[in-house]
Formats: sequence, structure tokens, C-alpha cells
Amino acid sequence: MVDSLSEGCALPDISEQDVLEAMKTIPGYIDITPADFREVYRVALVAAQKRIMTIVKVTDIMSSPVHTIQKSMDLVRTAKLLAERRVSGAPVVDDHGKVVGMVSEKDFLVRMGAGQGGSFILIVATCLKSKGCVAAPLRKLTAGDIMNSPAITAREDISAAKAAALLMERGINRLPIIDSNGHPLGIVTRSDLVRGYGRLGTKE
Amino acid sequence: MRYLQKMGGHSQGPPRVGPIEVMWSGIGSLLGMAAVGLIHFKLLDSTGQIMIIGSFGASAVLIYGAIRSPLAQPRNLIGGHVLSALVGVTIFKLLGGQPWLAGSVAVSLAIVVMHLTKTLHPPGGATALIAVIGGDAVHGLGYLYVLMPVGLGAVVMLVIALVVNNIPKERRYPEFWF
Repeated sequence: MVDSLSEGCALPDISEQDVLEAMKTIPGYIDITPADFREVYRVALVAAQKRIMTIVKVTDIMSSPVHTIQKSMDLVRTAKLLAERRVSGAPVVDDHGKVVGMVSEKDFLVRMGAGQGGSFILIVATCLKSKGCVAAPLRKLTAGDIMNSPAITAREDISAAKAAALLMERGINRLPIIDSNGHPLGIVTRSDLVRGYGRLGTKE
Repeated sequence: MRYLQKMGGHSQGPPRVGPIEVMWSGIGSLLGMAAVGLIHFKLLDSTGQIMIIGSFGASAVLIYGAIRSPLAQPRNLIGGHVLSALVGVTIFKLLGGQPWLAGSVAVSLAIVVMHLTKTLHPPGGATALIAVIGGDAVHGLGYLYVLMPVGLGAVVMLVIALVVNNIPKERRYPEFWF
């Protein structure tokens, strides 16, 4: 998983000229050719990247506590709750507080006529054509009816890099972090990852 | 990569060092060689002992002129010379009747031993060779050659390197000891 992530990123490479310029700024005879140094640099960079990939734990960057939606909650309250908390999605939990699915804006859009992979603008188009609100049929449904289930989750010991790879591979935007009982500890979103790695960049 | 293509080279040399580095390389090597030279010619000449051997000239290049090099560190300087001297004397004792064979085996075995002990120091090859081709003055020393001139001479050069190489602000020696 992590490997597929690193393949996607272009490693910051250096040229022999870069090495030569650096060597000129360091007094003393440095007993290595620029090409050999670049070779060392490239191997070291891969090692450093692997280390950095595992240094940030998902618990360092996740949002906690996580706002959850009861499975039996009707969609009016579900939508209101998501809007109030300014989140575009949340884990759905059963009566025991166990994560059973995910519900997001996208699940609403799909039910409102956008279709799988549809867009907000498609709903606008549908809405303008029809008389009533296209969301009306949703009133009778609950979060459990429209949620994506089972939820893709991860345990708290996963690295941030693995979480990122999981989001990418499964095409999802948020990953609930659960304990051994399936109870949510937090949630990692794409913006959490960006913030986490952004901070890492400014430390050094 | 094709065999002949490799002979064309693929990189470039490191840049020329600055004038300060050049100057201190000159000062260090002058003092280092003067120290072993004085001991050899002024103190030991009458006693038949020797202190200076050709390979010290090569060591001077490294420990005064390329002080950051791993090859120039104390472990390599002392270890490389002493181990190579041991190899050289031993090989001369075993194969001395055939100097061409003793010389080549002494040098190559010295390189192997230095590699294995992480003490690679190019002048060590010369130290091993001198044990074979150094003439009666060297042959007569037997294993004493390892301690003197080789070991003691290397220590004297190391002391001068420690003193001189650390005088300028932007120079430091060694990078590591062992």
C-alpha cells in the first residue's frame, strides 16, 4: 500500500551539478565524485522516505472525538447534524456504538437523482425541471438506509501513510479509526492528512 | 552497461579546494614530514635505526591534504600501516626468495586485510611492499619493522596532524577515531 503511494510521488532528485555546487561551499577536499554522492543520496532518500512514512501515526493527525450518526436517525436530522457540525460525512453507528457504515453528502446526492458518480449540478438541473423538492423522497428514510456499508475502517496503530494509501486505493475521503470493539476513536480525512504532513514539513 | 563504455568514465572530479585549504595542506605536510625526518636523520642515523619510509610521503597527502577522507582517519592511518607491515614482514619471511611473488602477494594481501578490518589506507600497500623490497636495512629489522619505523612513524605523523589540522577555524580532524 505504502509502495503504491511512493511510486505515485516523484522523488526530489538532485543533479551532479547540484552536488558539485554544494561541494564548492564546503571547505576541504571531499573524497567522493558527484556521481557517487548522488548514488548515496538516492538510496538514503528512499530510506528517509520510508522512515517519514511511518513516523506519523494516524492518532497524531486524526480528528477526535468523532461525530457519529445513529443508524436509526432519520435523514432530516442526519442532514441537519452534518450541516451543524460542518462535516460532509460521518460514521454511522448501531445501538451498541459500533461503526457499521458511512454516510456522506454523496449518498444524499445519489438518492436525489445525481446517480452514481453524479454531480451537484445534475441535481440542480433535475430540480429546475421538477416541481417539488427532489430531496422530498428522502424524508422517510434513515441514515441506515442510505449509508455505505460495511464501513472501511482502520485500527489506531496504522501509520498516517497507510491511511493515506487506503483513502487513495478505496477512493474514499474519510477513514474512521476504531478500537478493538469497533467503537470509533476518531476519523482521518484527506485534509487531516494534508495538515499532518504539512506540519511535518515545517518542523525541519 | 557495456564493458568498453564503462572505460569512458561517467562523472567528474570534485572541485578544486580553496587557497586556505591548499596552504594548510602544505604547512601540515611540511611539519609532519619534518618531524619524522628529524627523528630519522638527526637522532637515529648513528644508531642504525630508521624512522622514515617512503610510504609516509603518501600518508602525508591524505592526513594533511584530504583530511575529511575516510582513508585519512586515525584508524586507517595507524591500522593500515601496522597491519600492512605485519603482512609485509610475514610474506617476506615466507616468500622472500622470490621477490616478485613476495612483493605482489604482500601488497594484495595487505589490501585484503585492510579492507576486512576497515583500515584501508593506500600508503599501507607501500608499507607492505617496502617490507619486501626495502633492502637489508629493512629486512634486518624483522617484526620490529612493524613498531619502528612503521608504527611509531605513523603515530608521530598523527600527532602533527591533530595539532596542525585543527588550527584553522574551518578545518577539523579527525572525522572519527575508531
